[in-house]
Amino acid sequence: MDKNIIPVGPYHPLLEEAEYFTLQVDGETVVDIDLEIGWMHRGHEFISESKTFTQSIYLVERICGICSTSHPIACVHAIEDVNKTEIPLRARYIRTFIGELERIHSHLLWLGLAGHFIGYDTLWMWAWKYREPVLQMFEIISGNRNHYGMMRVGGVAKDVDPEKVKSLLDIMDEIEKKIQMIAKAATDDPVLKSRLKGVGVLTKKDAIDFCAVGPTARASGVPIDVRKDEPTDAYDLVDFKIIVTENGDVFDKTVVRLLETFESIKICKQCLEKLRTVNGGIINNVKEISPGEGIGRYEAPRGEVFHYVRTDGTNRPVRHKVRAPSFVNIPTFKASCKGIPVADALITLAAVDPCYCCTERSLKIRNKNNEPYQLDLMKLSREKTEELRRQMK
Amino acid sequence: MHNYNEFISLMGNKIISKIEKPKRLYFEVENKNINEVAEYLFNKLGCRLSTATGTETYRGIEVLYHFSHDKTGEYYCLRVVMPDKKNPKMNSITPVVRGAEWIEREMAEMLGITFEGHPRPEPLLTGNHPQNIKVPLRKWRSNG
Amino acid sequence: MSWYNKRLAKSIWVFHMSASPCNNCDIEILDLLTPKYDVERFGIKLVGSVRHADVILLSGVINQKVAPQVKKIYEQAAKPCFVVGVGTCPASGCCFNASYNIVPKREDVIPIDLYIPGCPPKPEAMIEGVVKLMGVLNA
Repeated sequence: MDKNIIPVGPYHPLLEEAEYFTLQVDGETVVDIDLEIGWMHRGHEFISESKTFTQSIYLVERICGICSTSHPIACVHAIEDVNKTEIPLRARYIRTFIGELERIHSHLLWLGLAGHFIGYDTLWMWAWKYREPVLQMFEIISGNRNHYGMMRVGGVAKDVDPEKVKSLLDIMDEIEKKIQMIAKAATDDPVLKSRLKGVGVLTKKDAIDFCAVGPTARASGVPIDVRKDEPTDAYDLVDFKIIVTENGDVFDKTVVRLLETFESIKICKQCLEKLRTVNGGIINNVKEISPGEGIGRYEAPRGEVFHYVRTDGTNRPVRHKVRAPSFVNIPTFKASCKGIPVADALITLAAVDPCYCCTERSLKIRNKNNEPYQLDLMKLSREKTEELRRQMK
Repeated sequence: MHNYNEFISLMGNKIISKIEKPKRLYFEVENKNINEVAEYLFNKLGCRLSTATGTETYRGIEVLYHFSHDKTGEYYCLRVVMPDKKNPKMNSITPVVRGAEWIEREMAEMLGITFEGHPRPEPLLTGNHPQNIKVPLRKWRSNG
Repeated sequence: MSWYNKRLAKSIWVFHMSASPCNNCDIEILDLLTPKYDVERFGIKLVGSVRHADVILLSGVINQKVAPQVKKIYEQAAKPCFVVGVGTCPASGCCFNASYNIVPKREDVIPIDLYIPGCPPKPEAMIEGVVKLMGVLNA
């Protein structure tokens, strides 16, 4: 008997014939949802016991390719928290700049994929086309488009040349104009609005109960953001605001992410201006870490990344615990997927922006009598959009 | 720091030992008091559970719950030590904090802890595993 | 079979299979379809089912839970089907060799014909890899 899979596709780095979520459907409506995970489990916590602190930074980068800077920043925060190490001012601006650039690229990536799931492939191509200059900026600063290896305990690894600041600012101005155009096109379209408004609502109480973080929680009215709650690096030296909306549906999550992109561009420009004038070194060489415990966190594009490190005086951690934001955001499906039509299931699952290497998934669809049967969620989602377009003409 | 003094005096002798640092409080309680302390932190103070860490130490199996007080950026880390390494058991806080369900399942399969009162004690990451791996984070498990 | 291989090289249909990756190589593969690199002008297309595919792009260090599925999918593919390992993970396991959960040798699960190293490999490197494959097929 075949258990059938559905949304596969580029976003899901998992293959067919694995088990995904189990959706219990009653006619057209989803009644319950369940998950099976474990296909990405590579045992990071086991491997990190045999690596030194600097090697852990490289290991932790490879947990996820999209949030590739968030994990190293949280890791160095945790190690520096053991002894409360200070880092130089220039390093603080560089860390904030790289972190915010990553937020821009990740939100554009999500926007493109959301468009792809609904059937707006043009939105996908445009969002990813204007993501390329961001990756080009990463290459100018660190030498690689992803997995930059810029973080060290006590500072950063590479400096930003003052001569390059002008060309980086020019690229930022250009991207800002284009993202404004894409954002306006996406939010003004009536078919897109009717697909996304009121779909997959997560109430404020559920968001607090499941301990959700990031844009998933902020779209439901919970105002938490590590950048304001515990400002580290340069977040207390730059001016920005956090975006909170009330409704908790997929449209609100889109709006939160788009407005956050503009705030990130603002922060990046401020950091670049400061990097022209602030002098100093980029790293405080740390000779040893005393025995103790440290907690470090960072606001990744998906939410709060949490690292905990326990040390014993040697150059290896005794225990290194990593918790990615998708681990707490994905269980909220149980609350937001109840009672929605099956054609909306795909966009609701994707709205949480799950980073599937930080967690896992697979899909089984069963009807009322618990027998499995086949459904193509991507096709259903696109068909619903076509139907709405026809009705609006 | 004054926030911690109020909390510490309220808990009284439930706290067996503590380590206080700026914005971080690590304190140990006994198994029988966990649910009460977790209920106070989650419902009265309005903390959010970030995650939980399980470790094997010389004293026994230790579980550390990390509660984040978002308004002030402080952490309350609740520690429980189980000296019985062959069969470690403790109360689950999932009935109080729904967000603890997944992390307790993960700690149960990685370290072999039994969480009493957990609604769904199934393995999270190594269920239906072809090699049937058991408790990979325990030191006595041989690697080859 | 060489006349068949020459036809194949004109328009390769690709199936993307990720077995425990960190997702970076997968996003870079998707980047190939976007306007800057645009491999569709070479006739290369991403398909949804392995039975339509000529080339399987494998990324990730295969973990033990997913290994039987990878094998099953490879067996379902219509032969001749070439397997290209994208990234350092299929080539050498990257930094995960010390883990308890990964297979000791990836070639035991699925035979790999071409390796494109890099973490992640740049899109230009992936295009070069595909061109080399087309060169081999044309010969």
